[in-house]
Amino acid sequence: MNGLRRVVITGCGVYSALGSTPGELFDNLAAGKSAVVRAGEEEHFLPTAPAPREPERFRSLPRTLRRAMAPSACFTAMAGLAAMQDSGLTQDDLTALNAGCAVGSTMGSVSALREGYSLVISGQSDRLSPMHFFKSASHTTAFNLARTLGLNGAIYSPCSACASGLQAMGLGAVLIAAGQTDVMFCGGADETGSEVSGSFALMYAHAPADGDLTESSQPFSAHRKGLVCGEGAAVFCLEERERAVRRGAKIYGEIIGYASNSGGSGLSQSDAPAIARCMSDACASAGIDPADIDYISAHATSTLQGDAAEAAAIREVFGDHVPISSLKGHLGHTLGASGPLEAAAVFEMARHSLLIPTRNLVDIDPACAGIDHLTAPREKTIRTFFKNSFAFGGVNASLICRINA
Amino acid sequence: MNLTREEIIEAVNSALVNEMELDPASLAPDKTFFDDLGLDSLDMVDLMIGLQRKFGVSLRDNEEIKTVRTLGDVYDFFEKNQAMLTAQAEAAKRAKEQAQEPPATPGN
Repeated sequence: MNGLRRVVITGCGVYSALGSTPGELFDNLAAGKSAVVRAGEEEHFLPTAPAPREPERFRSLPRTLRRAMAPSACFTAMAGLAAMQDSGLTQDDLTALNAGCAVGSTMGSVSALREGYSLVISGQSDRLSPMHFFKSASHTTAFNLARTLGLNGAIYSPCSACASGLQAMGLGAVLIAAGQTDVMFCGGADETGSEVSGSFALMYAHAPADGDLTESSQPFSAHRKGLVCGEGAAVFCLEERERAVRRGAKIYGEIIGYASNSGGSGLSQSDAPAIARCMSDACASAGIDPADIDYISAHATSTLQGDAAEAAAIREVFGDHVPISSLKGHLGHTLGASGPLEAAAVFEMARHSLLIPTRNLVDIDPACAGIDHLTAPREKTIRTFFKNSFAFGGVNASLICRINA
Repeated sequence: MNLTREEIIEAVNSALVNEMELDPASLAPDKTFFDDLGLDSLDMVDLMIGLQRKFGVSLRDNEEIKTVRTLGDVYDFFEKNQAMLTAQAEAAKRAKEQAQEPPATPGN
């Protein structure tokens, strides 16, 4: 990282359709499970990948916290508490450290937004709870995490759609490297809903509800028809390295590189040259050569243009020397959560020295060829990995982690 | 709204148990909302929104309800004001219906 100090990850928590611990998530991914089901919302018959939302799952959160939380914030709080516990830091430690957080999402909470505008449109605004604002605000995942963990440092909430979570991790790393703070809880969270899935469907970028839905998300496949929206959260504890070493913390790895950019003009189209530049910039910020990367966790969401653009950019920067897979065949596209959630899975892959392939990738699209696609599990030691996230509006983000720094 | 005090108590207490997750055993008339029951001003707004709906009345512009301190104050408020609140709600409903009626067409 360009900065005075090194940044390590000392805690990890996830909340997802395929597991509420990194280990459970890895086991289900390695078993080839799919989170995709038929959408339960009657107005939309699209595949979706929901995380568990039963209220009982969130009862461990005090009502005074929970009252301001829609599902996206509940997912974040559960992942954040797990990350804090995993880090070995207590709430008292975090308060004494003025720890902060950066958590992003696409639009706060689509379910809370819907609840609010449904009441207003139907002339029942007198039934609007003051909690609707707190549940649906764009930074709801971030401030609710801060309240849950008792964080009294800075609260940031990158709002850059599907790159929100990875940008939050990058931001946290930059702030710690620059000496602004010592500890940041960083991640992403999101909810799926018909407003979200429908937006992609309107652009012909959503997979239809045809055939076996578990095969509907097919990143890089010649047969892909669009993405499948998912949901969940992941939160990491980022910490200044010397501090973490001094206290004897378990260290997952070090964030050694990060870059974010845009093509400057794109709306929904991906921009391969900008993605290539983003990945090259991330390598430069890490001071490493692309050949040093052991694995790339692709953004690839199963859209026609996006997957081809990412593949073209990877081809340009890495050639065919680095194994690549996308976990969105298993998890769907968990939107703002996808960067951190998939990064959490990669740390487990590294622990097991096992690369998980892209689910549903049998026939590689010629437009996505020329790179080392994982179509089957592969045993390999991961020392350094790359995580990509891209978003509508031309947002690109790439993060590089080195295992067991 | 035409309720006995017991019915008012049951309605208010059930809102506190279901919405605020309070222990039914903690609900005594002398308990203060903030210090004894641990609620805050935002909870009070939510509680009143729930009770408005439950009782079919509007409390938005009522100044007296903003002064309640104890659970007993709320029971007393509804017991004392239910006739007035019901009349207000019915008047508001009539005014809304009249506003929605199409204007008479000249010449008919």
